[in-house]
Amino acid sequence: MSADPRPAPVLEVQGVRKSYPGVVALDGVDLAVYPNEILGLVGENGAGKSTLMKILVGLIQPGAGSLLVQGARVDLVDPAHAIRHGIGMVFQDGSMVPNLSVMENLFLCHEGGFRRLGLLSRRAMRERAARLLEEVNVRIDVETAIAEVSPAVRQMVELSRLLWLSTLYGQANPVLILDEPTTVLNEAERATLFRILGSVKRRASIIFISHRLQEIVEVSDRIVILKDGKNVTELEAASARVEDIEQLMVGHAFSADRYREEEQAPPGPEEVLQVEGLRKRGAFDTISFAVRSGEIVALVGLVGSGKEEICKCIAGLGRPDAGRVRIAGRELAPGSPSHAVASGQGYVPIDRRSEGLALNLSVAKNVNLLVLERLRRGGLVHPGREKANASRWMQECRIKAPSPGTACGTLSGGNQQKAVMAKWLSSDVKLLVLDHPTRGVDVGAKDDIYRLVRKLAHDGIGMIVMCDTLEEDIGLSHRLMVLKDGRLVGEVPCPPGKKPGPGDVIGMVV
Amino acid sequence: MTRDRLDRTSTAVPWPRLLAGVDAVQRRVRRAGIHGQLVSLVVVVALFALGTGGRYLAWPNVRVILSLAAIPTIIAVGMHPVVVLGGMDLSVEGVVALCVVFVGLLTRNNMNQNDVGLWIVPVTLGIGGAAGLVSGTCNAKLRIPSFIVTLGMSWVLWGLAVFVSQGQTLALLDTRFHPVVTGSVGGIPNLALLAVALTIAVQVLQDRSQLGRYLYAIGGDEVLARQAGVPVDRVKIIVFTTAGLLYGLSALLLSTRLGGAQAITGNNLLFPAVTAVAVGGVALTGGIGGAKNAALGALIVTALNDGLILMHVNPYAQDAVNGAVLVVAVALTIDRKKLGFIK
Repeated sequence: MSADPRPAPVLEVQGVRKSYPGVVALDGVDLAVYPNEILGLVGENGAGKSTLMKILVGLIQPGAGSLLVQGARVDLVDPAHAIRHGIGMVFQDGSMVPNLSVMENLFLCHEGGFRRLGLLSRRAMRERAARLLEEVNVRIDVETAIAEVSPAVRQMVELSRLLWLSTLYGQANPVLILDEPTTVLNEAERATLFRILGSVKRRASIIFISHRLQEIVEVSDRIVILKDGKNVTELEAASARVEDIEQLMVGHAFSADRYREEEQAPPGPEEVLQVEGLRKRGAFDTISFAVRSGEIVALVGLVGSGKEEICKCIAGLGRPDAGRVRIAGRELAPGSPSHAVASGQGYVPIDRRSEGLALNLSVAKNVNLLVLERLRRGGLVHPGREKANASRWMQECRIKAPSPGTACGTLSGGNQQKAVMAKWLSSDVKLLVLDHPTRGVDVGAKDDIYRLVRKLAHDGIGMIVMCDTLEEDIGLSHRLMVLKDGRLVGEVPCPPGKKPGPGDVIGMVV
Repeated sequence: MTRDRLDRTSTAVPWPRLLAGVDAVQRRVRRAGIHGQLVSLVVVVALFALGTGGRYLAWPNVRVILSLAAIPTIIAVGMHPVVVLGGMDLSVEGVVALCVVFVGLLTRNNMNQNDVGLWIVPVTLGIGGAAGLVSGTCNAKLRIPSFIVTLGMSWVLWGLAVFVSQGQTLALLDTRFHPVVTGSVGGIPNLALLAVALTIAVQVLQDRSQLGRYLYAIGGDEVLARQAGVPVDRVKIIVFTTAGLLYGLSALLLSTRLGGAQAITGNNLLFPAVTAVAVGGVALTGGIGGAKNAALGALIVTALNDGLILMHVNPYAQDAVNGAVLVVAVALTIDRKKLGFIK
């Protein structure tokens, strides 16, 4: 073993597992981080990257397996505890308190050293903060509120705080995790970040997460690829090629029948959705497209590709700068979700717990929410009709609930999702936007949802889907629309029996 | 229909342009800290100075304003840290009622033989602090909304106060405090000096202590603060306890000034205090505003009411003005981005 050139790892993850009801997020992951290296971590959405990172900083406790810091086992309870062991994370959406100043955030909870005669010395804090930020190339008034500084500066402040805390706790080689740091940066800021990471590397190890594979190859020393909650491969960055990583990320196995491909029928003649010259600055460039009745169109792209914003603008949840959206020929008032619904558009949100369902209400009440007018008798909602309608759709959609009166909050994720879809199915919806319809849903319920999607298509409803994996996008849809940096970069037909593999498409996406 | 979606989107808000305008004003007020409050104070003073032909600005009236503003200031300074946390403290009336009754029962009085003398100071502060400690613990540990805990607390203590005092008014026979409370130094009422001293002390703690940092961190984002290692529960309990302590102090001052003790002394203290906190620029959404804001708010509200009285405005109209002021102040200070729903 003396031939092994690697020093002992600073951080080791051994056989970590984590499962949520119905989903296995991590299925025995092993990971080692060596001193003074940048480790690139890649994987599709849902591959388990964020879960793993949250375990590393103590936000989530692993179901099984262990973490070793400098060879000693640790059980981390929260991020404040993790940093004592030299593990810290710069979060994608920031973890700085917005109303506090840069300096106050830097030293939050560790102000003890700045006490003079019992009170905190602002001058000492200011000087120290300026010096710390100097190290990461930030020159800024340290009394500015965090809410007022740019995302790039915020990131550097977080990084600087983590470095300072590691020194404070005597950690010679901390492990710093950067979760997609470049998504909020422009070209110049990105170059600065990489330069700083290069110098930070001399006194820390870095786990770098990014969807931009080119970046990963350039910055990292070593690359680990996660897929389905397992680590599939480890590559030396020097010899890695972006195409190889892509293939390893999406995998080769692709089973056609999983998505009920044989039930995919050709779309009808009329266009249920027409989008003309839709544009929103900072989110997506001018785009025009149409969805025909019974057609399933998958929007494919990375975070920041603009697909989410396009869907929001169509659903009236966002206001575009220009352009028109028509549902069955009727033009929608921009920025009005109620008008979109009234025109026959449904929206199944990614976060059904907070947006799609009223969890404390019964299944029946949720399913009937949009069709109460039809269930009236003499001006009031008729309980018998209400129950009959709910029971019918519960059966149709295979919602497994003890009775129509069961509160939605007590159902499993899959059944909740089916309830959201039943709600739209029972109304006269013409276009349905499905935002990650199978997120957090177990395998059996996934099949039920695919079946429902096919049924909706068969009934002539046009759909826009955004799925968890590229494979699911391809499997479900008639057509892929690939978006990159806010622009439509390609369309890929996906006819039944002649679907492209994920590997054929991934190159366009990344 | 799809209420769940409508309420969540900023675009669905009615009158977007008006709100954008309000937003711009908000930003300015917020950055200035107390600038907006100073301007409001100047406007109020100028209006009444003109309206009363200068009588409003005569020293006797200014003295009255300073003396009247003192107790609302102490209460607002005690209450506002709870608001900075993002909570609300409605317990002041009950706490004051109980403390006042105990001041009556424990010092020399016309009903019993008790006399604890100067010990009444720590005893009253202790009762107030204990009430705050219970509220804070219920809020932090049992995770009951502060709004409900303190409202319940207020009624519990009010009931207790009436029960203990049997609804009677006690005359205070120990008059040693009276001159201290009603006197003045160099023409400035002692109470006003005390209020200013307290305000400065609390403001310094907010600016220059770890507790102060924690207070604003929790108000800014409780989840992130907890992740950074802020002892959130402990800070909350300390804040509620301090609030109770200052309500106890107010009770002591009020009963001494009146020379008598009865439960209803606590009545009509809540509304001016909440208005003062809001008018001072302490955001109901938490994280913004300090003791200086609370004190300025109390001064503005007192100056406003004094002016209305001086101009012989109908008392019912005065109430209406106060109500409108509260709503406008909150509209200008809350951060709507922080609220998912407006309930």
